Amino acid sequence: MAELGPVLEVFLGGLMSGVLYALVALGFVLIFKASGVFNFAQGAMVLFAALSLVRLSEWLPFGVAVLLTIAIMIALAWAVERLVLRPLVGQHGLILFMATIGVTFFLDGFGQTIWGSNVYQLDLGIPASPWFLFENLFPGGILVSPIDVFAAVIAGTLVVALSIFFHSTKIGRALRAVADDHQAAQSVGIPLNQIWLIVWSTAGIVALVAGMAWGTKLGVQFSLSLIALKALPVLILGGLTSIPGAIIGGLIIGAGEKLAEFYIGPLIGGGIEYWFAYVLALAVLLVRPQGLFGEKIIERV
Amino acid sequence: MATATVTPPREAAERSVRRARQIGEVLLAVENISLRFGGVRALSNVSFDIRRGEIRAIIGPNGAGKSSMLNVINGFYQPQEGRIIWKGRALSRMRPYDAAKGGIARTFQNIALFKGMSTLDNIMTGRILKMRASFFEQALWIGRGKSEELRERAFVERILDFLEITHIRHVPVGKLPYGLQKRVELARALAMEPELLLLDEPMAGMNLEEKEDMCRFILDVNEEFGTTVALIEHDMSVVMDISDRVVVLDYGRLLADGTPEEVRNDPAVIEAYLGVSHG
Amino acid sequence: MIYRETGQFRTSYAEDQAIFRLREDRIGIIVILAIAWVGIPLVADEYLLRAILIPFLILSVAAIGLNLLLGYCGQISLGTGAFMAVGAYAAYNLALRLPEIPLLIDFLLAGLIAAGIGIVFGLPSLRIKGLYLAVATLALQFFADWAFLRVHWFTNYTPSGSVTAPPLDIFGWLVDTPLEKYWLCLAFACATALFAKNLVRSRIGRSWMAIRDMDIAAEIIGIRPMHAKLSAFAVSSFIAGLAGVLWAFVHLGSWEPLAFSIDMSFRLLFMVIIGGMGSILGSFLGAAFITILPIFLNQVPAMVGIQLSTAMVSHLEFMIFGTLIVLFLIWEPHGLARLWQIGKEKMRLWPFPY
Repeated sequence: MAELGPVLEVFLGGLMSGVLYALVALGFVLIFKASGVFNFAQGAMVLFAALSLVRLSEWLPFGVAVLLTIAIMIALAWAVERLVLRPLVGQHGLILFMATIGVTFFLDGFGQTIWGSNVYQLDLGIPASPWFLFENLFPGGILVSPIDVFAAVIAGTLVVALSIFFHSTKIGRALRAVADDHQAAQSVGIPLNQIWLIVWSTAGIVALVAGMAWGTKLGVQFSLSLIALKALPVLILGGLTSIPGAIIGGLIIGAGEKLAEFYIGPLIGGGIEYWFAYVLALAVLLVRPQGLFGEKIIERV
Repeated sequence: MATATVTPPREAAERSVRRARQIGEVLLAVENISLRFGGVRALSNVSFDIRRGEIRAIIGPNGAGKSSMLNVINGFYQPQEGRIIWKGRALSRMRPYDAAKGGIARTFQNIALFKGMSTLDNIMTGRILKMRASFFEQALWIGRGKSEELRERAFVERILDFLEITHIRHVPVGKLPYGLQKRVELARALAMEPELLLLDEPMAGMNLEEKEDMCRFILDVNEEFGTTVALIEHDMSVVMDISDRVVVLDYGRLLADGTPEEVRNDPAVIEAYLGVSHG
Repeated sequence: MIYRETGQFRTSYAEDQAIFRLREDRIGIIVILAIAWVGIPLVADEYLLRAILIPFLILSVAAIGLNLLLGYCGQISLGTGAFMAVGAYAAYNLALRLPEIPLLIDFLLAGLIAAGIGIVFGLPSLRIKGLYLAVATLALQFFADWAFLRVHWFTNYTPSGSVTAPPLDIFGWLVDTPLEKYWLCLAFACATALFAKNLVRSRIGRSWMAIRDMDIAAEIIGIRPMHAKLSAFAVSSFIAGLAGVLWAFVHLGSWEPLAFSIDMSFRLLFMVIIGGMGSILGSFLGAAFITILPIFLNQVPAMVGIQLSTAMVSHLEFMIFGTLIVLFLIWEPHGLARLWQIGKEKMRLWPFPY
């Protein structure tokens, strides 16, 4: 039983970072569901939102900075819808995907040009010192970072809020209709462009939340953009169209890669966190191409 | 009902005599085919045959299972029950590739051309199964790599000529008008030198003149090359004019099977098909 | 400039199937080759060869590799850098461990090893499409980054993890001056371009394009998707692997795994999109553009008196790349190559545009 303490600690730590992956993956899923676009720029949006927030809050009250950042993300969603998606409507998914890679590079360059490219500390007033849980059960207890807990709570709230939004509001129903069938939705009078704007704005706000969580943990810096790459296997695992899939996929990957590092890492040189998520996702792909929770795609001629 | 009269009555009579000589043994037999998608039955217990050299029409209202039938014949769908007998041999678990190799070509209701390629290249793809050059011969443009290209090019030029599309050989097919695209698709199927040609609504969306052209091409292909044709068509006058025998499907079931004359006078067909909305 | 189709009648299919159908194009390519082989070596200084022309040629080779896969077969790869790394490290280890094999043979073997890895990572393409494949190739990229950094056998246990290429002995010809290196790279670039062009105008190229444009229809006319996709992966990664060998052995000399990171993969993707998907010429144009842009950004603002910081230049580069990708995808998915072709059409018909 002496072994269990550290393992549990690794496991919990993994779950917590999994939540953060899930936050990024959530943005992907929203956009993919509603517009069929695999938005590679989600990570760049996380960076851009976090940078905007941290730099604005240097000379504005925090609440105002948050509101202003939300406004910026909505403006960004509008620009993407207008300048990139609308001209490319009806194009092959691959073309749209590559266009979002273009958006990624533009946003990364643009964000760092206007907001700077140093590492910025984002302080949300959360105690930095770790908590120790179950000290009576395990020697030394289990170390848990309050930031992680905070992020998990935020993520949970967000998922609940999004589910309510999707299932109980008029806009949510329209979104689901669009996700099912673009043309049918359009023919019953759902304005596609507005829906896309709403979805991209929502994804922008989700990116802001993810940026806040990651920024608090790691500092706001360029590497946040790369987190998106970690969210890709989460998506594959969970299925591109499933919100619960994004969450569970995130948890599996987060915990899985930490445990793998703990158990297998020392045997083969360490650092396997770097690719573990991808190889896991690839294995899932080969067995179940639609992911754990995704909808099976039926081909028609 | 739109009409596209192709042959005056006297010629038609002469033709039927000639055709009786041309039509041969059973080329393909469909036996008790049933196909389901989840709970939906697309085809139930359908049987009919296609004889060598004939033009066989498959008709029926929308959703009757006509396209599904073609998809089963060329291996795109795997039926849950029944079997396809091709030239006397039962085929099981056939893939589209096997059908192509066996000599079955087809066109699609919604044109399925390779949009980024020229007319010539599209039709050349139909010759892929006839080409044998090794990788290195192709990469170095030597030996069969070069000679086959030229040989097949000459073959394809004859098809271009036959279908009167030589002038668009270098045009990307995406830029062609609809009627010409349909013709290029037919050309690609012909390039495979198929024994059985499946045409899924070859005349859909065409104007009268284009329809007449297409009818003429189908008849010419059938008579000059002896290619067996199975086609789905909505225009009844076309069907009655050019086909030797007609299969009628309704709700995935076989409703009637016979000569155009027999089918036209079949009460069940009149009831289920000709009686409703298509008049 | 006289550029006319009039009066040139092709009397055989062989002439009509030639790579350069117009006499002016044939003259043009001879002139370009003469400049590349003779003219440039006469005038170019070491900086031009070393910093611009050699990397340009090698990246062109790699871009042709990716273009065959993405532009012709429609299969996306975000792992081209990894295939280059496989080629580079394979050649390094072959040269180190089997010194009796001639270096040039090592290069080709390294390409074949990369092709083998390409086939393995192309296997998922049989079950999954487009976006999922992007993830599968990213998996390779990350795995390769890690393996060459952490599995020290690949780097012969050098303490720093960086390795140095052996002297370039091509069957007794010791390639060591920048000019000789340039010629070597030029030879590879010409050979690759010819090889690729021949493939895409043959059966195999047509089956790739058919898969790209409509895989279901391709299968129905007798193309086996597995053959087409895996051969595209194999050829593409062979060429990328070869480019990796050149990049490591000829351009860098000594290198670290970072030389083939995801950054390289993205750059190659940009070359193909900007240069033109589905065009061999486009691969060269894209490589030229991406090689020259940073140099241009570094030097031109300074000439007109604007000082940009290094960080600023790199951000600007990001923004320009991003914008151009989107613009090209919207307006001209066939890239610079198509613009070039349109220019030629105009000239061919001038002064009567109809």
